[in-house]
Amino acid sequence: MHTTFFLIGIGLFVGVAAWFLFIWAVKSGQFDDPEAPKYRMLDDDDEPAKAATPAKPSKKKSP
Amino acid sequence: MSGSKESSPEKLRCDHCFQESSTPIIVDINGEKRVFCCKGCLGVYELIHSNSLEAFYNQRCEWQPGPPATSVKLEAAAFSDTVTTTGKEERIELLLSGIRCASCVWLIEKFLMKLDGIRSARVNYATHKATITWSGDTISLDAILNALRSIGYLPHPCRGNSQSDVAAKEKEDLLLRFGTAGFFSMQLMLFIAALYAGFFEGMEERYRLAFQLISWALATPVLFYSGYPFLASAFRSLRRWTFTMDVLIALGSLSAYLYSIAMIIQGGEVFFDTSAMIITFILLGRFLEAGSRLKAGNAIAELAELQPHEALRVAENGETSMVPVAAVQQGEMIEIIPGDRIPLDGMVLDGEAEVNEAMLTGESNPVLKTPGSEVFAGSFSMNGRLRIRVTDNAGNTLLARIIHTVEDAQARKAPIQGIADKSAGYFVPAIIILAIATFLYWKLTAGSTVVALMNAVSVLVIACPCALGLATPLAILIGTTAVGKRGILVKGGDIFETISKTTTVVLDKTGTITTGKPSITDLHDYGLTSTFMQHVASLEAASEHPAGRAIAASWQSGELRVTQFKATPGRGVSGVMEGTLWRAGSKAFMEEEGIQIESEQSAYTTTLEAEGKTVVMVACDNKLAGVIAMIDELRPDALPLIAGLRKKGFALKILTGDNRGVASYIAAKCGITDVQAGLGPLEKAAVIRSLKAKGERVMMVGDGINDAPALTEADIGVTLGHASGIALESASVAILNDDLTLINTLMESSSRCFSIIRQNLVWAFSYNLIALPLAVSGLLHPIISALLMATSSLVVVGNSLRLKNI
Repeated sequence: MHTTFFLIGIGLFVGVAAWFLFIWAVKSGQFDDPEAPKYRMLDDDDEPAKAATPAKPSKKKSP
Repeated sequence: MSGSKESSPEKLRCDHCFQESSTPIIVDINGEKRVFCCKGCLGVYELIHSNSLEAFYNQRCEWQPGPPATSVKLEAAAFSDTVTTTGKEERIELLLSGIRCASCVWLIEKFLMKLDGIRSARVNYATHKATITWSGDTISLDAILNALRSIGYLPHPCRGNSQSDVAAKEKEDLLLRFGTAGFFSMQLMLFIAALYAGFFEGMEERYRLAFQLISWALATPVLFYSGYPFLASAFRSLRRWTFTMDVLIALGSLSAYLYSIAMIIQGGEVFFDTSAMIITFILLGRFLEAGSRLKAGNAIAELAELQPHEALRVAENGETSMVPVAAVQQGEMIEIIPGDRIPLDGMVLDGEAEVNEAMLTGESNPVLKTPGSEVFAGSFSMNGRLRIRVTDNAGNTLLARIIHTVEDAQARKAPIQGIADKSAGYFVPAIIILAIATFLYWKLTAGSTVVALMNAVSVLVIACPCALGLATPLAILIGTTAVGKRGILVKGGDIFETISKTTTVVLDKTGTITTGKPSITDLHDYGLTSTFMQHVASLEAASEHPAGRAIAASWQSGELRVTQFKATPGRGVSGVMEGTLWRAGSKAFMEEEGIQIESEQSAYTTTLEAEGKTVVMVACDNKLAGVIAMIDELRPDALPLIAGLRKKGFALKILTGDNRGVASYIAAKCGITDVQAGLGPLEKAAVIRSLKAKGERVMMVGDGINDAPALTEADIGVTLGHASGIALESASVAILNDDLTLINTLMESSSRCFSIIRQNLVWAFSYNLIALPLAVSGLLHPIISALLMATSSLVVVGNSLRLKNI
């Protein structure tokens, strides 16, 4: 009996988590440009580091 | 590397822009032979090459030919107000023209990232907007703008078009609401399915209660967050005592929701799914509609781009200075450099130039402007320097007035109330009254409030607008997609209805039923040389005039070297080939140059001109060598279109900005008697307005900016794929692949779509007509009515799907 309710809880949790993910995606502009990303992966990128994090200098992790 | 102009036996394709050219520049790069159509392309190629970004050429696909805009002058000051500075980092958004395929995005990003000081560069392929951040110490904005220009992408300041911003916001809001509805409805259906199973097979009471409570929790955000626009709009219209579709939606979903809550308390069956599904499906329709409206908004920004932001003002003392157009007063003098767009309306004081006014007047040939002639903002000076006296300030130019007309007309063209909406005006109040009557009847006869309430809500549930709500939008959605697959873009739901009621079809001439490109019809060679055409074509190869280009294009087998080339704007060209002086131009040009024209030849020219043809006379060494006549011919698909339209009984009419001779020739050729020639953009719109005043339902087919006001004024504006942005914007239908006969298809599809909508509505109403009395008499169990409702919707869905193969 408890298992059923437990599973329902998990199901609802996953569903609501997916919803939050969706809201984050919309708010952060993931749906703004549906055209370019499909080509972006085809680029031969020689300097991935520069393109990916252009603004920040690479931080060294403290040991 | 060295560039040389060589004669070539055939047209070669430019290695950079793919445009075919008969006068290519052929260059050796690293031992390989490369072909370019112009110096601009060569420059861009070298630049890309020297930055080792040749991968661009391998990546690009779906590239549309055309040379880059490398020669246009940039005014960096015009951009400075759109820069935002945070700390040492500066950021700008630019609108880029010249992006043709996704590789352009790649090239721009890579090229910019190679510059020192650029921190990030992102280009949005859908909106053609670039977001660039850089450090102000290392690189200047000027350098960035020029870098973009040097690879052929012209930056424009992006001041945010308020209209498209609002549309984008609206779309994001809709996406959030629809997505939310989707996620929660999916979850909800799991529990509702369990409850349905439980109803038939039996289930433990505590599970049933738990599932009902969870359903309640899941349906609540769908109804009150996703459905908020419907609830709010329904509330607003109820306050004004009007009844719209939104009232039905709100009433249907709210009643199912409230009834379900009552049932949780009472211990009956719940219908939260009804409530949530109505909202979800209708939001899906609205979301798709918003997408197409967003695309339309971008085109208006393109039209505004025609208007230059700066003008070269000439002061009293003769000094020129670059000032914003708004600062130029009426009566001041401005200068126009060859190749520039004219910033303001005015009268030419000094200078001579050929001006391309195609976007304003529809006249495909450049117009010669001499002192005393009028010039218009947004038109394009092709050669020659002009000084003009400004006659109107920036807000009042012809271009500005056209933009206003389009905007006004669009604002006025509020979404026509759908059939369902109109009927909702009667249906909704009737249902409300019926529900109240049912409640009162059962209250008085059975005496139980619960039974009375249940039956009353049962009436509301069965009358719920599922089928009614789906009847129109679903058929339109499927119909739109179906015609879309054939290359017809329909921008809005009410359009099919309006098309099927059209009585008159008005056609624009230039570029719509004609090709817009003149072709040679008559060629009279007086036999002075054996290579007449070669000489003429070689001479005209350097000409900018469409007639000259047509002649040049007709000759494909090698050109002669021309020296001392001279073009007299609007009249003709001259040049020396193989030691002989050749001239080609109008009759007036020949007379000016003192060439003897015999009366027989002169009469022949007059006959040709009477047939609406453009005549070019050719002289070799002061003797008339030949006459070439050309005409802007009917498109091959124009006749089937006209035959098809006539068969369906539409009244046909031609409107054109061209002169009467050409217009009546074309009209006679396609058998249309009703022609009006020499019309400006606003006059075309006035003609449409007067037709509408006579009670005609007008469809306008056109392709230029000069057609835009008429396209908006007409009940239905149809434009072709090659049309200018503003024409696409103002039209309600766009034929994307340029096939005129698709207009016939559109007519047929519209009447089919409209009749399917009618069938759907008849079904939905008759279902209500039968089911409602049963509900009123208390015979229908809510589960049965829910089942009936679902069946009714399925019938509507099935019927609409028949539109898939139109």
